[in-house]
Amino acid sequence: MANRITIDPITRIEGHLRIDVEVDNNAVSNAWASCTMWRGIENIVRGRDPRDAWLFTQRFCGVCTTVHAMASVRSVEDALKLEVPLNAQYIRNLILIAHALHDHIVHFYQLSALDWVDILQIPKADPVATAKLAESLSPWTRNSKTEFKAAQDRVKAVAASGQLGIFMNGYWGHPAMHLSPEVNLLAFTHYIQALEYQRKALQVVGILGGKTPHIQNLTVGGVANAIDLDSTSALDMDKLEMIRVLLDQVVRFVNEVYFVDVCAVAALYPEWFKIGKGVNNYLAVPDLPLDSAGSAYDLPGGYIMNGNIAGVHSFKTASDKDFRDGVSEDVAHAYYHGDKPLHPWKGVTDPDFTGWDGDQKYSWVKAPRFNGAPMQVGPLAQVLVGFAQGHPLTKKYAGKAIETIGAVGHIQVTPGMLESTLGRHGARAIRAAMLAELAQKHLQLLVDNIAKGDYSVHNQPVFPSGEVEGVGTHEAPRGTLSHWVVVKDGKIKNYQAVVPSTWNASPRDASGAHGPYEASLLHTPLARPEEPLEVLRTVHSFDPCMACACHTFDPSGRQIAKVKVL
Amino acid sequence: MKKVLIGGIGNVLLGDDGVGPYVARLLAAHYEFEDGVEVADLGTPALDLIDQLTANDAVILIDSVSTDADPGTVQLYRKEDIMRVRPAVRMDPHSPALVDAMLSAELFGVAPPDVLLVGIKGESFEPGCSLSKPVKASLDQVIAEILSELDRLGVKHHRRENPEDLGIWWATEERRESLPA
Repeated sequence: MANRITIDPITRIEGHLRIDVEVDNNAVSNAWASCTMWRGIENIVRGRDPRDAWLFTQRFCGVCTTVHAMASVRSVEDALKLEVPLNAQYIRNLILIAHALHDHIVHFYQLSALDWVDILQIPKADPVATAKLAESLSPWTRNSKTEFKAAQDRVKAVAASGQLGIFMNGYWGHPAMHLSPEVNLLAFTHYIQALEYQRKALQVVGILGGKTPHIQNLTVGGVANAIDLDSTSALDMDKLEMIRVLLDQVVRFVNEVYFVDVCAVAALYPEWFKIGKGVNNYLAVPDLPLDSAGSAYDLPGGYIMNGNIAGVHSFKTASDKDFRDGVSEDVAHAYYHGDKPLHPWKGVTDPDFTGWDGDQKYSWVKAPRFNGAPMQVGPLAQVLVGFAQGHPLTKKYAGKAIETIGAVGHIQVTPGMLESTLGRHGARAIRAAMLAELAQKHLQLLVDNIAKGDYSVHNQPVFPSGEVEGVGTHEAPRGTLSHWVVVKDGKIKNYQAVVPSTWNASPRDASGAHGPYEASLLHTPLARPEEPLEVLRTVHSFDPCMACACHTFDPSGRQIAKVKVL
Repeated sequence: MKKVLIGGIGNVLLGDDGVGPYVARLLAAHYEFEDGVEVADLGTPALDLIDQLTANDAVILIDSVSTDADPGTVQLYRKEDIMRVRPAVRMDPHSPALVDAMLSAELFGVAPPDVLLVGIKGESFEPGCSLSKPVKASLDQVIAEILSELDRLGVKHHRRENPEDLGIWWATEERRESLPA
């Protein structure tokens, strides 16, 4: 007889991810991913000026503000076939890269590292041995005994105070945790240091975007940054130099700390290369355009079906016809009216809430499909699609990861092992290292272009009478993001956002096919079903971001996450 | 010079959840403050909020709250009230951001010593860009609570003779709204 476990961080109004699994003989036998919040925010932009849509869409979500702003302006530019000046492309690319680096660092350390790191082991660690271990892994200058001792003292102080604070909800001492005290201390120390470096990445977004969390410098047709090398109120040499200094520090942290830590943790939990594979159709769009028209990119896109790496299909542009034509959304198991999958330009968001029923409707998330199939998106898809096409930068860092994991764990790692829970973390670190290298490249491209005397940042949009359609894509930290706009006589007629977490958290479709979270959880072994750490490990490996929602504070503490075993 | 952040938190696309950003703009349009005070529309931050909290002597946050009180009720919370809330299992980066951010900032040793959360009980959180009547009716009290906290902190402020534009781009019909005398 199977047991049902529900993990629901709930609240009445915040939109969150809920996971239900059935457990049979201590392994997951069935799974449902659902979102508890109605996401009809797209309806708000209908009837508005397409030039303003990005201001609204960047409020969809407080974590992913920048990416929604960017996909929005790109969708309108696509509808108008409007080119974007080179400077604007580079400035946008730098913002997107800096945002992604910030996001990946925060995801690993703040959101998921404590799935693998046991806080209870830290007081037992020897800071000297930790420093020695760290030196054998990386040249990072802050791997000192002093830093490790200070971090350890912080944990000891928290433990002594009896107020666990931020650590209140961890599954400490869980049998699926098995790093040595020293590795636990090493990772925890970097968890503290990560805070400084993610902030430096955000500062780059702030300098170029005017402010964070909501950038102000976008326009349909380019950016609003004035470029004047002699004016402190414009983008001048001082600001470009500040960006260079900040990026250099972030790049070093990514290469010497984040990348190494992910490889080390992966090497020490090799069993997790066999868990969490799930849907093995992968989708990624090209990004970081290198010309005004968007015909050449630094990051490749395409799709892979059924894990057939050799049979990869490539996308030539960010709004490739195959992509445009292939996307649809199915609402068979989502709380919306509708009897067949619809293309996003024809998309309807008409709520039909019926309560959670695993056999019928159970999620506010629609089920996006590509040529009818569920697709996994995110860093793993990005890396596999690039690797399959022989993309040199992807191969460089994938090779480095495979080598580092192999050396630490004395194991033979193959690219196929990336199709797993740990593989998603590894792929994210690979992607981050690629982006770090590209950050410096795109800053140089911008500086060189300005040095040529090109100060152009904006092309004027002209709206035709009648109807035009556009798709704006961005290969965001969590995967393929697409905004679909229909403009009629200069006003928005329809707008749909198909976001990465919708692809991955998708419910079943009419054929019953699981979405990626659901499929990845099947067969996962659980050491203690009442403490489903293993479920969280796999779900976190996708870097879910469902909220795009309210932020109401609940002072009662009633609405803590609940894990319910039925 | 004291560093003080006055930050409005919330989603401007979801009805009363937008009250925090709305108040931030209302305050900035009608008041001037001494150097060191920053008024910000923080949107719906997740752990980025740690960065906003860092390096301030005092923080005043405005946010919608979920309680049993009537819509429009204004309730005040101090740092210890926030720190007492048990953080959620983190499923995604939002799981309640304020509590997580405050607890993390405390662990990292960067939490501001003085924190006031001015909470407003909302009525409707449906997609839409307007505030409900009871929440609008609470705005005077919200502003008064913020100013009184600034007085307590010894931070100077004065009302502008000519209010600036509210800059509330998300709700066109309310752009010209001003504070009652």
